[in-house]
Amino acid sequence: MNKNMNNTARYFLIVLLVTFAFSCNKLDEDPDTFAFATPGTFYSTQTQIEGGLAGSMNKIWDSWVGYGYDEAAFVNDDQLDGGNLVIGDNHADELWDAHYASLLNLNAILSAIKNGSLSWDPDMTPEMIDPLVAQAKFLRAFNYFYLVRMFGGVPLITEDTPDPTLNPMPRASVAEVYSLITEDLSFAENFLPEIWQGMPGRPTLYTAKALLAKVHLTMAGYPLNLGIPEYTMARDKAWEVISSGKFSLIQNCEDVFKSSNKYSSEMLFSFNSTYDDLATDPQIWTSEDYGDGGWGDKATDPYFEQNWPAQPRKDAYLLTDWNGMHYTEFYEQTPFFKKYFFYISMDDFNGANSPQNIPLLRYPDVLLIYAEAANQVNGSPTAEAESRLDEVIDRANGHVANVNHPLTSGAALSMQQFDDRVLQERSWELCGEFDRWFDIVRKRILDSPAVTYRQEDLINFSTDDYLFPIPEIDQTLNPLLEQNPGYTDFRPGTAK
Amino acid sequence: MKNYLFLGVFPNKKCLQKILLIMRLTTIFLILATFQIMAIGYGQSGMIRFTDEAQTLSAIIEAIESQSDYKIFYKTDQVDVTQVVNLESDETSVSSALTSALKGTELTYVIMDKLIVFAPADNLLQPTKVTGTIRDASTNEPLIGVNVVIEGSNAGVISDLNGQFAIEVRDEKSVLVFSYIGYITEKIPVAGQSAIQVSLAPDITSLEEVVVVGYGTQKKSDLTGAISSVKGKDLVQLPMQRVDQALQGRAAGVMVVNQAGAPGSNTTIRIRGMNSISGGNNALIVIDGIQGDNLNSLNPNDIESLEVLKDASATAIYGSKGANGVILITTKTGKAGKSVLEYSLNYGFQKIRRKLPVMNAVDYAMIANEIAALNNKNGTPEPYYTNEEIQGYRENGGTDWQDEIYRTAPVLNHQLSASGGSEKIRYLISGGYLNQQGILINTNYKRFSLRANVSANITKKISMGLNWAGSKESGNSTNYGNSGTFLSSPVNLAPRWSPTVPVYDAEGFYSDPRDGYGPYDTHNPVAGAREPEIILNTIRNTVNAFLEYKILEGLSLRITGGAITRNRNDFSYYNAKTYEGRPKGGLVGYGTIDEGLSTTYQNTNLLTYDRTFGANHHFTGILVAEQLVEKFNGSNLDATNFLSDKTGIYDLSGAALIHNYSTRDERVLNSYLSRINYSFASKYLITASIRADGSSVFGANNKWGYFPSGSVAWRVSEESFIKTMGLFSDLKLRASYGVTGNQGISPYGSFAAMTSGVNYPYNGYDATDVGYAIGRVGNPNLKWESTAQTDFGIDVGVFRGRLSATVDYYIKNTDNLLLQSDLPRYSGIKTKLANVGSTRNKGVEVSVSSDPFVGKFKWNSGFNISFNRNTVVDLGGKSELTYKTTQGGYGLNTAFMRLRVGEPWGQMYGWECLGTWKQSEAEEAALYGQLPGDQKWRDVPDAEGNIDHKINNSDIKVIGNAMPDFIFGWTNRFSWKSFDLTVLLQGSQGNDVFNMGRIRLESMGEGSSTRMLDHWTPTNQDTDVPAFIDYQTRTAAGLVSGRINMKEPGRNSRWVEDGSYVRVKNITLAYTIPETLISRIGITRLRVYFSGTNLLTFTKYSGYDPEVSSFNSSDAMMGIDYSNYPTARTVTFGLDLTL
Repeated sequence: MNKNMNNTARYFLIVLLVTFAFSCNKLDEDPDTFAFATPGTFYSTQTQIEGGLAGSMNKIWDSWVGYGYDEAAFVNDDQLDGGNLVIGDNHADELWDAHYASLLNLNAILSAIKNGSLSWDPDMTPEMIDPLVAQAKFLRAFNYFYLVRMFGGVPLITEDTPDPTLNPMPRASVAEVYSLITEDLSFAENFLPEIWQGMPGRPTLYTAKALLAKVHLTMAGYPLNLGIPEYTMARDKAWEVISSGKFSLIQNCEDVFKSSNKYSSEMLFSFNSTYDDLATDPQIWTSEDYGDGGWGDKATDPYFEQNWPAQPRKDAYLLTDWNGMHYTEFYEQTPFFKKYFFYISMDDFNGANSPQNIPLLRYPDVLLIYAEAANQVNGSPTAEAESRLDEVIDRANGHVANVNHPLTSGAALSMQQFDDRVLQERSWELCGEFDRWFDIVRKRILDSPAVTYRQEDLINFSTDDYLFPIPEIDQTLNPLLEQNPGYTDFRPGTAK
Repeated sequence: MKNYLFLGVFPNKKCLQKILLIMRLTTIFLILATFQIMAIGYGQSGMIRFTDEAQTLSAIIEAIESQSDYKIFYKTDQVDVTQVVNLESDETSVSSALTSALKGTELTYVIMDKLIVFAPADNLLQPTKVTGTIRDASTNEPLIGVNVVIEGSNAGVISDLNGQFAIEVRDEKSVLVFSYIGYITEKIPVAGQSAIQVSLAPDITSLEEVVVVGYGTQKKSDLTGAISSVKGKDLVQLPMQRVDQALQGRAAGVMVVNQAGAPGSNTTIRIRGMNSISGGNNALIVIDGIQGDNLNSLNPNDIESLEVLKDASATAIYGSKGANGVILITTKTGKAGKSVLEYSLNYGFQKIRRKLPVMNAVDYAMIANEIAALNNKNGTPEPYYTNEEIQGYRENGGTDWQDEIYRTAPVLNHQLSASGGSEKIRYLISGGYLNQQGILINTNYKRFSLRANVSANITKKISMGLNWAGSKESGNSTNYGNSGTFLSSPVNLAPRWSPTVPVYDAEGFYSDPRDGYGPYDTHNPVAGAREPEIILNTIRNTVNAFLEYKILEGLSLRITGGAITRNRNDFSYYNAKTYEGRPKGGLVGYGTIDEGLSTTYQNTNLLTYDRTFGANHHFTGILVAEQLVEKFNGSNLDATNFLSDKTGIYDLSGAALIHNYSTRDERVLNSYLSRINYSFASKYLITASIRADGSSVFGANNKWGYFPSGSVAWRVSEESFIKTMGLFSDLKLRASYGVTGNQGISPYGSFAAMTSGVNYPYNGYDATDVGYAIGRVGNPNLKWESTAQTDFGIDVGVFRGRLSATVDYYIKNTDNLLLQSDLPRYSGIKTKLANVGSTRNKGVEVSVSSDPFVGKFKWNSGFNISFNRNTVVDLGGKSELTYKTTQGGYGLNTAFMRLRVGEPWGQMYGWECLGTWKQSEAEEAALYGQLPGDQKWRDVPDAEGNIDHKINNSDIKVIGNAMPDFIFGWTNRFSWKSFDLTVLLQGSQGNDVFNMGRIRLESMGEGSSTRMLDHWTPTNQDTDVPAFIDYQTRTAAGLVSGRINMKEPGRNSRWVEDGSYVRVKNITLAYTIPETLISRIGITRLRVYFSGTNLLTFTKYSGYDPEVSSFNSSDAMMGIDYSNYPTARTVTFGLDLTL
């Protein structure tokens, strides 16, 4: 019996060994040793941080000029065709999403650097690190500048904000958002280089100064309405760019948007584009009658064209006829902004390949900011302001006197008249660059018949239209977020 | 004295010792009974002293045990120890004492070593030998391995290779019992015969049939779970190329939908509905114990049996992979005995089932001119076609584009297998070659498959085996359905292209669409079919080895190690003549390369204990430890702008623009599981199982999941009160409950991760900059979706099993659905994967099988029907999820198909089309700004019952549902003499199909359908095709505007059709050449047949085929017909040859 018992015990031992002593595989997935990267360990080299910067820009370009079609949020200005001042509850949701997606990546970069992600590398001196931080801060300011102008005060998330999905936060005030923007841009103008050798797509200290000028100009107007001090800052920052002598207008306006001038003396910042990464599909932006056929999605309001006097710039910027056909005979019966499709080869156009950059900040913008701000600060046009405005008008006229569009020099204009002329010039010169809506907002002129041309649209006007609605999903998930006036409040428990 | 035969007498000893002793004793009795060892008195030296001459037997036993080392055993029901016996001497040897004591009783004894056993002497009578041959009653073939036992004893033999047996019986009154799996057991009294010829009739109910279950087998009669079983020989009865297709209509609760008719295309298999929204609903495929294999590559001829595990009792043993049901496949092995060589061949032709009805060139041109005339805003417009042109079409006809791209296509299938073996080793080697050309030109699928299954008994206790299967699949197919753009899809474009356009233009190039009327922006369909060069290659290797060790009687260990490797290597090139590769800036072509290697390693260590205690207690237990590792490496690229069309994708250096991608992942699953089956008297059956799964993809806080199940069954037919009725051959009630999981999480899915590919030319100039962005947030709580299923079933067999039925009712509640739950968008990430949401499936399935005729003319019939109702219970706080069901061009970008809380799957949302306005309704039409002849829509009343005379989003309602009310299959097999006829009907009832292709086939500006001819006119008002109303008429009517505001008007009920169908899936007539004619040339069996697949389909559906599913990324999008590859009808001739 004992012997048999021993045998049995032995059998069981064998069985247990074979069955349960097998080499158990580890169940833990270790992010550091495998083929994927986590935000916690990324951003530890300069190239990874630059990859993060590229990624942050990738998050927004498609919404603005790609297939996102989200620039349709600006259809109520007086340039894009369509829009009746009925602004729905999800009017600019996609732009909100896109800018915050960009910000997530920028804050992650700033947070990682702050926590010493680069400190393992002795080669990464402060001189190396500061420009990286400055780029991230520039882009963060850029994003918040768009958000604050569209939505007003928004949740203000920085590298120091605890996880916003776990810690609901209220909207910051408009002033608080601007405060972060100016702080970030001040850092950027101090730590960005004058030039990125061989890398003309990146922001330089002049890009930061130009954007800062635009920020101050906006702060001077609505909604903060801070007036003279901000106009002064705007004028001075614009002057720093102008007086640097690094920038100038391209001689002929028909050359401005040529692909060869992507990084010309007048481009400060743009959505960059290559054949590998197209910034837009040119077919979206033009008529079915152009080339082998556009889609006619983004048309220009015919009123805008009708109020624009004949001049070389108009021909260079607007497609008003094609193949002997006037735009009234186009399928869409509207003109189109040429800068998105006209200056590329027909092969590229028909193949939906546009290596065209989409300008975001151009030198004429800086000139006009200067002109506007200097006029405001002085109470009347200064000679310098006039000559900056004239510089833009002169190029627009092909450097030939144009009775329909005369220069200001010599004509004694009041402050208001000059201001109006600058604003008009901004609208033509920067047409289709999503600048006009923000001018309308800061000047509070949406209800002017010159802007909202159609009486039937005007009855829909309300001052609430100057801000877009906070997205429903954010309100539902965070009851601390108040809605802008005039829109449905989606917070749980609020009356619909 | 100790009575060792009762378990309860060892209260203080360890269980182990007890079991050991019992086993030893049982062994001894077995030996005794089987080999009839005669009592042999060993000369025993020890003397025993007895106190009295006349004693009871028990007193004698006690004396012997107390005074010697002997222990005495007997069966209490055979030996009466209280009887008084006579002893001749009060002091004697053990043997003489026993001899004298048992003299005059019916007992005798045996001494073995230190054991003495008492037994009735009539067990030990002189034997006589009985011999005979056992044959199949229907085929008269000898049956090998039939069990022959003497009733009431354990003595038995099995029949040999020639079906012969020889057994010794001691009693003329003995009855021999002949039993064999799959046959009705026969009992034959010996009655003095020395030779008995036996015919066994096949058992129709097959209750003794063994069914494969997860990690083991069970007798069908012992099952407590819901399992459908299909035999391999039934699957290959019909010439099907693929296992999944052959499964259609075969098993209750199993829905098989051919997604498309392309050779080698996929099927959707759903077992008892769909549980998961994003985690996938594919059943787990287990081939010879190896999980995660694929049905496409499997040669149907290699299948011994296929089991579908449906309820939780059956599937919970697969834990976190079992929620969608399990398909278990066992491949064939050789049988000991004669070697068998089998060859089969079939060759068939496939043809399109029907063409879409389109206009001829004359009608087309005239309709186009009618449309052209509508545009009379500025006077009389030019017609698109001149009278001369139309006259020309009348004389010469036009192009039938469907004829240009579809063809009659051959399919060829060769099968060769050899099998056989001896006691020691068994083998099966099989090979198959399938070459299926598609009915769409330039499409095909080829499969080479090879299998070698070998097993050997190394020692009496150890056996080993190796199964190896290799396959190579290759194919070529252009875009169809939802892949790629319809701008180049020949299936989409052929019926739409103008019959007035020739295939080639005057210069011999592929023609372009004609301006004016027709699909102007599309590419020549013949070019789209013929020109793309697509080469898909997949090589699979499955290796599976096992070692089995019989440790003790009833206890065995099986160690399995297996691996599946799959290597994919796909190329495509679209040359300059295609839409994709059309010239751009002097450069041409578009190509892709896609390569991947996936490997699965599995090790299973299975300990099985299977014993019967006493007459009535049968116990089976398993204990398993298992590990599974799955790895994938892959890379792919797409390249455009080649300098040379000649080398194309094969010379990547010649491409100006290349995008590269690569990926790698790995997942690990460690599992422990156990199951216990207990049956009492084959009447009361209990099964309980538990599995613990530790998975690498689960979040850090939920690494282990536990999946229990339990089930009970009562075989009422075994109760004497039912037996006496004599009606039921089987009657069983079953109930089960259990929890299974679905681990639809991608590896690393619980971690926050950076994603690449978010590039942007940040630096400027021509090069892009590699961008990285935060792609997702982490969720350490992420875990499996869990499905709790309750099942009640009943199995009934009557008329000696000639009619049997199984009915099951089930309810499945799936919780913790993996869904993207919303995050506030200001966090920068829109959603987070989390376990939220629930769905429910309820259903009834019935299967009936019967043998109405069993004589010379035989009819075997099997019918099954399944009803499933599914409901979306919770979407994690959302009220609905919406699905995009278009690739553009069809206006279904938003929310056509939706999953809504409280509603079933497959809901189609849109406007209800009420046909067209009649002239008598002109006033009402005017309220909508419409004229008679315009499309009339249902104006849905608001909550107060008012209608607003506007058609907009508030009028959107449910306009269809893709889920069938029921599906069914009906198999019939008739045989008479050497002929047999098999007919399989199969169908689906109550499901809607959205015939999306019609949106443009019947569209005003380009429609080519013959339906265009039925457009509304004052004399043809009863139609749903709107009138052609010209500009001036419409303007003159001065109608209100803005009343019809439909975004994406294509989502309307005009295109929703009843997708119900009944189909003669297959009909096969076969003739088996009589053996007498062929045996002299050495052929055992030769069968020739003629077969038709999809010959007849009864349906109202107007598309190519009602069985269609174009969008398969989610089950929420089933039931849409969008340019899918049409299903073919096939006729096949074939032969099966056995040497």
